[in-house]
Amino acid sequence: MSSTTLSSPQSQVQSQNQIPGVKLFEYQSLPGLLDDACAEDGSVKPEWSYLLNSLGDLGLKALQDRQQISRRILRDDGATYNIYSQDGNPSNRWELDLVPHVIGSDDWASIEAGLLERAELFNLMLRDLYGERSLLRHGVLPPEAILSHGGFLRACQGIQLPGEHELILHAVDMVRQRDGNMCVLSDRTQVPSGAGYVLENRTVMSRVFPSLFRDSHVHRIASFFQRLRTKLTSLSPSNDIPRIVVLTPGGQNENYFEHSYLANYLGFSLVQSGDLVVRNGFVWMKSLEGLTRVDVILRRVDDVFCDPVELRSDSQLGVPGLLEVIRAGNVIMANPLGSGVLENPILLKYLPEISKSLLGREPRLASVKTYWCGDDSDLKYVTDNIRQLIIKPAYRGSGIQSVWGGDLTEQQLNKLLATIHNKRYQYVAQERLEKSHIPSLSAESLEPRPHILRSFAVATDSSYMVMPGGLTRIGMQPQGKVISMQSGSPSKDTWVTATEPERTEEISTVADSIQASMESPLFSLPSRVVENLYWLGRYAERAETSLRFLRTVFIMLNGEEPISPNARKILLHAVTEITTTQPGFIGASEELLANPDEELLLIIKDNKRMGSIRSTLNAMLSSADESKELLSTDTMRVINDLRDALDNLDQDLAGGLTSAPEEALDPLVTALIALSGLMQESMVRGVGWRFMELGKRVERALQTINTINSLIIPVTGKTDQTTLLTALLTTMEVLITFRRRNRNRSGIEMGLELVMLDSGNPRSLLFQLEKLQQHLADLPKTDTLKGQLEEEERALLEAVTSLKLSRLPQLLETTTDNREEMSNLLGQLEKLLSEFNRIISDKHFDHRIDPQQLVTTFWGEQ
Amino acid sequence: MRYRVRHTTHYKYANRVSHCYNLASIIPGNTGRQRCLKNSITVSPLPAVTNRRTDYFGNEAYHFEIQRPHKELIITAESYVDMDDGDRELNFDLGTSYAEALDYIGQNITPESIDAREFLLNSPMVNATDELAGYARPSFQSDRSLKTCVSELTTRIFTDFQYDPNFTTIATPLNEVLEHKRGVCQDFAHLQVGCLRAMGIPAKYVSGYIETLPKPGEEKLVGADATHAWIAYFSPQEGWVEFDPTNNKPANNQHIVTAMGRDYYDVTPVKGVIFGGGRNPELNVSVDVARLPDN
Repeated sequence: MSSTTLSSPQSQVQSQNQIPGVKLFEYQSLPGLLDDACAEDGSVKPEWSYLLNSLGDLGLKALQDRQQISRRILRDDGATYNIYSQDGNPSNRWELDLVPHVIGSDDWASIEAGLLERAELFNLMLRDLYGERSLLRHGVLPPEAILSHGGFLRACQGIQLPGEHELILHAVDMVRQRDGNMCVLSDRTQVPSGAGYVLENRTVMSRVFPSLFRDSHVHRIASFFQRLRTKLTSLSPSNDIPRIVVLTPGGQNENYFEHSYLANYLGFSLVQSGDLVVRNGFVWMKSLEGLTRVDVILRRVDDVFCDPVELRSDSQLGVPGLLEVIRAGNVIMANPLGSGVLENPILLKYLPEISKSLLGREPRLASVKTYWCGDDSDLKYVTDNIRQLIIKPAYRGSGIQSVWGGDLTEQQLNKLLATIHNKRYQYVAQERLEKSHIPSLSAESLEPRPHILRSFAVATDSSYMVMPGGLTRIGMQPQGKVISMQSGSPSKDTWVTATEPERTEEISTVADSIQASMESPLFSLPSRVVENLYWLGRYAERAETSLRFLRTVFIMLNGEEPISPNARKILLHAVTEITTTQPGFIGASEELLANPDEELLLIIKDNKRMGSIRSTLNAMLSSADESKELLSTDTMRVINDLRDALDNLDQDLAGGLTSAPEEALDPLVTALIALSGLMQESMVRGVGWRFMELGKRVERALQTINTINSLIIPVTGKTDQTTLLTALLTTMEVLITFRRRNRNRSGIEMGLELVMLDSGNPRSLLFQLEKLQQHLADLPKTDTLKGQLEEEERALLEAVTSLKLSRLPQLLETTTDNREEMSNLLGQLEKLLSEFNRIISDKHFDHRIDPQQLVTTFWGEQ
Repeated sequence: MRYRVRHTTHYKYANRVSHCYNLASIIPGNTGRQRCLKNSITVSPLPAVTNRRTDYFGNEAYHFEIQRPHKELIITAESYVDMDDGDRELNFDLGTSYAEALDYIGQNITPESIDAREFLLNSPMVNATDELAGYARPSFQSDRSLKTCVSELTTRIFTDFQYDPNFTTIATPLNEVLEHKRGVCQDFAHLQVGCLRAMGIPAKYVSGYIETLPKPGEEKLVGADATHAWIAYFSPQEGWVEFDPTNNKPANNQHIVTAMGRDYYDVTPVKGVIFGGGRNPELNVSVDVARLPDN
């Protein structure tokens, strides 16, 4: 049966010939399926009609075009959700379905009330479990339900936050039931993720559908983030302006995009564990100026990983000694450590009793029916009805997978039951709830898809505030059973549509947060980020030089004028030297030199080969990821172009190097040039930018030395010398200047003047050294004796002086087979630059020593 | 009985340690049968920050953070402890039966029994497996007094297992200890804790010190001059009762408790994270338990 009006080819044909004013397509619910947008009789509900009519007016084609636009915006913003299982390509795009999930404001008001109450309840529970434990003492909860749960952290007993609330952020996953009410599937209380994605989805939607968005009177979400910022600020133990950081596990985490997006939006520094250190009873961030104190940590690292001294000892994601600082009240962690205990689904079984005990009434919001195998009668029920139940771990970190009993064979069932009986406390079972459907954009229609809504609440001074709407996720198919970001389910923006226009207060808070994010001080950069910018500069330059030289070599090898075997050998040697892919062509057989294609291809695309174009660019991209928060949107776009060009490289080179191989490299070169242009034009001249420039200049100077070394030092015949000089000048982009200049001196002398000593040539050696001096002078200074040069200044001054004092004719003098003077000078410059590089990195970058355990202890299975 | 205990932990590192964060459980606290009169901890090099607190299990925890480079770390704890002469009741056959104890723990909701139930659960290093239950079962009969059951289990572990400091490390799993019947005091304590939990009796791991009396003619106690470990089980009648499977006896006024927990994980004498230090740090622990004249 056709699910929608537009699923057959005929109707598409019709739609192309449609008369203006006639609906292109309509949404139809599927008979028997629960549907949010349609009533039982199939008629569209009032709160959905405006949206569906407007989308209908737009037409499928227009919607699909806008879907393309939205994909492009998401890509340019770098929106990803990394899926762990797919290695090789860690970046996965965030999927946004363009049809928003509409919730009417009256409907929302009652959901919101339930969520507010639930947040209060969970807050009281958290306080009780790590405090008085009245729930256990009075027999409301069996002690085993809590004490056998991996999220209950004994080390956190008695720790309390200032103010009314322990639970700062609370997220809830829920589904719509047949009676119209919401039913909660699970609570997220450790590091509730998703709010940043909501923000990104909202940004995209308001750009893609500006008028539809405006006319739908959608409740704004900015005030939620404003409240979060206010709350975190108010928790600060310090009297100064608080320094708040977002602690992320790093670029490998599936939500890393969200972490950096949120940090930027809120104006907080994004840090990894290695950026923080505990010293003298406080937490500090390692920055260029040394250590700066951290007051509040908004964490995105799971509980047990946060402190290897007292929690999981094998953790590389935590900060040793952190828990003691928290205990002393010298830093505030949100959500507090130990809050993962609230994610325990066993609590859902007892929630009505808990609520009566703590709030004096049963909760408004229902939770999914949950059976705990630690309870005798529940265990019996689960054993008898296992085929109709989802079996889940009580503790998500236990490594136990959720399974649907109906999917298992007899043998698997028996095995599972045996395990459950053996580890009763660790298993719960839940009914599978029917999921309600909402309209979603498919290839040729709007089709109903099952959905889950994740809501977010943030603590305020006296209560909670719930974000209007939240993150909606939909199934991959109309009848899909599993909805999870890990399995790639698309998301939707959630529109709580107001019946009346919104108050203006919201708008000023939006302006506030924008201002705050712009004020984000550059001096608060972790030194890791600065180091990555330095290497971003170096790798980008290295890739560009290598690519330019490879292009030159391709053109010369395939050129109209044949080149001599000797020149060919020198050129190929230079390829190996410049890309540092030794041995390569060094000491290669005549045969390899005559047929270099295979090796050249590997130098371009073999990721396993250090120095190959691909490996250099990958290194560059990972440096960019680590410093993402400092790069502009345009810069991210170019970085994405590079990523795409790299992905397409294999395809572009599929035909080998037979026809115009330099063409295949062009997209990469173009993107690198665009990148370097953007760095000049759209990056604030802060510390970060200076370090990127330093990296770039050091690399360019070293590569120039390398190129001259490879091409000019060997003494050759006149013809070959011209060939090699042309190669040098082409790769350094000065061939035209060279030809225009008056030629009353020998070609080689003039060529070398251009690439070494001409401070007007932005690619000359002297230009790089002088730029380095300038940048150095502009860096923030540490205390030094007046008039005394710093070590790195000394190295540069010596390099500049040696270069300026050199005499070209002398440098060009030949001994038997090479130019010794030139070789000595270049050798000296190379040494000084390496020295400079070492001093810079010793002085400014963090040389982290990996922590180790004093005693090997265990975090055994419970 | 009054004692002075000196407990020195000495690490020597191959490379420099730039800074470190540590947590020590090395100070005896007050229990039903012991009182700590005074104590002190000295650490070399001098820590930047120290903190003493009572941990989740009621033990004294000592945190310290060293911020200066060092190649040696020395932690010395000195404590003065008064021990009660304790229970001279040697007739274990009286008191709650095993069946009554199980009933009380399962049914009676008293604050004590609720707290005790935590020590029935599996813990990081002890899983109450079927194998452990199988080993323990012959000692547990419903109508027999719980104390006799535990005492017999203690004796059987003492008899069946060989003290062998070279066989196990702290990472050796319990089933291997059970299979080869060898180990040291930690292994025997873990084993007995696991056996008791498997039989439904809450059990704690106890770490501490034991006085050795090397007088001629008298049996030398194993575990001398080192930290020692034994167990405590929950008795509805008496609360926590301690037995020492390594020496086949109830704990007495020679057993000085430093910490109790679910297992070694909770009461590790010194643990922490160091930055640098190289591989295989050399560790020397010395314990000196001296009997002082009563005042």
